[in-house]
Amino acid sequence: MDIDIVEIVATPEVQTVVTPEVQFAVTPEVHSVASVATPEVQSTDTPPSVKIKTKKSKWDSESENEESESERKINKKKRNAKKALKATVDSEVDELGSQHESATEGVKRLKVSNDAVESPSIKSASPAAESVNEIIEVPSPQENTVSTPQSVVEQIIKPVSSKPPMLTGCRSVDNYEKLNRIEEGAYGVVFRARDKATGEIVALKKLKLDKEKNGFPITSLREVHTLLLAKHPNIVNVREIVVGDALKQIFIVMDFIEHDLKSLMEDMQSPFLQSEVKTIMLQLLSAVAMLHDNWIIHRDLKTSNLLLNNRGQIKVADFGLARKYGSPLGPMTELVVTLWYRAPELLLGAKKYSTAVDMWSVGCILGELVNKEPLLPGRTEIDQLDKIFKLLGMPNEKIWPGFSKLPHAKNIPYLKQSHNSIRSRFPYLTENGIDLIARLLTYDPAKRITAEEALKHPYFTESPLPKDPEMFPTWPSKGGGERRKSFVSPSAPNVAHGMGELDEEDQAFLGSIFENQGGNDYGFRLKV
Amino acid sequence: MSKLSLQNAILTYEQLETTPSKIDEIPEDLEDNLRKLGCDLIQSAGILLRLPQVAMATAQVLFQRFFYVASLRKFSIRDIGMGSLFLASKVQESPCKIRDLINVYHYLIQRYRNLPVEPLEYFGSEVYEMKEALTVAEMQILKKLGFNVHVQLPYGLMVNYLKVLELTEHETIPQKAWGYLNDALRTNVYVCYQPPTIACAVIWLAARVAQVKLPTSPAWWELFESELEDIL
Repeated sequence: MDIDIVEIVATPEVQTVVTPEVQFAVTPEVHSVASVATPEVQSTDTPPSVKIKTKKSKWDSESENEESESERKINKKKRNAKKALKATVDSEVDELGSQHESATEGVKRLKVSNDAVESPSIKSASPAAESVNEIIEVPSPQENTVSTPQSVVEQIIKPVSSKPPMLTGCRSVDNYEKLNRIEEGAYGVVFRARDKATGEIVALKKLKLDKEKNGFPITSLREVHTLLLAKHPNIVNVREIVVGDALKQIFIVMDFIEHDLKSLMEDMQSPFLQSEVKTIMLQLLSAVAMLHDNWIIHRDLKTSNLLLNNRGQIKVADFGLARKYGSPLGPMTELVVTLWYRAPELLLGAKKYSTAVDMWSVGCILGELVNKEPLLPGRTEIDQLDKIFKLLGMPNEKIWPGFSKLPHAKNIPYLKQSHNSIRSRFPYLTENGIDLIARLLTYDPAKRITAEEALKHPYFTESPLPKDPEMFPTWPSKGGGERRKSFVSPSAPNVAHGMGELDEEDQAFLGSIFENQGGNDYGFRLKV
Repeated sequence: MSKLSLQNAILTYEQLETTPSKIDEIPEDLEDNLRKLGCDLIQSAGILLRLPQVAMATAQVLFQRFFYVASLRKFSIRDIGMGSLFLASKVQESPCKIRDLINVYHYLIQRYRNLPVEPLEYFGSEVYEMKEALTVAEMQILKKLGFNVHVQLPYGLMVNYLKVLELTEHETIPQKAWGYLNDALRTNVYVCYQPPTIACAVIWLAARVAQVKLPTSPAWWELFESELEDIL
């Protein structure tokens, strides 16, 4: 489906009801309605109008039965809930009859709408749609149920309406046993923990709420929401939210993933193989494509937010800066994305930006994976821009229309270099690889490659082909408190090397129970 | 086990029947009235704060949900109302300032009690008390609802359905249906049914009042994943 979340600007007459500006985003319902539409379209090849005629006799009798049944239902007091609405309904019971007879007219009406929708442009199902800013793809009537037998409708509806959640409170954090601290950042601390009931290992992210002046932080709300919205094999899975004893202790429970790409690369001897880079990138791009498809911008893609498990699967994590966006774009803060991965339009102060900022970060990540070192490690915003210009050349109005109108475009040092030097930074990359990086690091956000397009890039189909995730090498997990096993081979006596006692002491622990006890020592790392 | 979900929570019959307030021996009509008053305050405050209608709607749904898991004896409708409106404004990406919210609530409550409306002192202790109460209420809502605070609203669906039914140009139906949705916020409809059902129900009602015939064969509501039994 193309549109999962549709931003609707209500039509004028509706707007006047309560507030002057009513703007809202419709989330999954639209998605579910739309997704119902497809399978049926495939199943019906014959023109809808024909089917209506064949169905008519059967349907009429059915609906009559239903209607008389419904009359009974009205009089029956079902739930308190209905009191308000029902009061009015009761008074109108008499009119049911008239509606009853309208069955045939209803068919006529539907025929008309069918004809309208037959035309190639399904987009505007009614003239009113034109007045709406964002064109809404209304699931057109004949696609859904009009022309299909009831059995099909039931078949499709039932799986969609899965059981709604119960209204229950949060569980306590006591359900988990804390094992060790994994890392700490500005947002909070991450612990490794064990579920006492199932024995599963999870990651507990404790939110820092002590210094919050504005109640529960909106960023955490967004994080929870986007993580729920974005269920994908390459996005970290949120299990639940638990609370501590105090009111301000909130933990997000997520699956525990062994590595993050940043610290993994720090420990690796040599960079990832090209086949491994491709596998990682494909997974990252499919996750990003899905996010963008769902109108979510991550806004903090970087290697330390990409987790890798021991089965070669990448999981995108840390949605603390993620948010939904709409069309038309609203103003958002430009102070997003870790500096090294920040797109030039953000550095230059653009208030309206879109999914392209994520793609820039993906480009920086690709460069980092290939070279095993950050591509653009700027110290300050100005230095960051300088590094970008040195890598890609100075942008101008020709290659990036609108560049000179950006807020900070006047205040940046001019660099007299018009060519890019990507080739010299990646001496061992193929032409296709260079091309993908260049497309990801395109100045003009409008021309920058999208995640969808990048997935189809020839880089991924040329040799060496992406490695099967199952074939990925494994490493000892830092967060899990594991350590590379060091094999003791007999060596010359220590004294001969002039080494002190310390070494001897360490040697003594090797192979003993104390060898792997140091989990807490290096769990404390600052995020860059 | 509490489960995180984007779908709206639907209450069981037992939950609807025996609310925590009822267990705390609060008469049913008093509870109904308090719920209505709480929603009314939220709606008025939202209008005064110029929040979008979706924020007020979300807040009222949260408010209704909250008092199915907590008792009116333990939590005041003022605090929970403020908390849910504040939370809803954040959920709907149009956050409001705590101070504004407190001022508006103070004004509304003074007016409701027919007291002379005097602005709050800027550094007065009352402000800090309300601020504290608000943040505590917000956390309580989050905790008690298990962080299921993302409400699916039927407004957008309703507009879409009207489009499909070609009723958007009708004089009264869209307006009426929209109004019914707002009115339904005062009741517990939103914790009993999923948004498509609610949207169909208000269209049904609006069309009935306007004496407009809707296609019944095949039944139009089936188009929108609703059961006739639920609509009525």
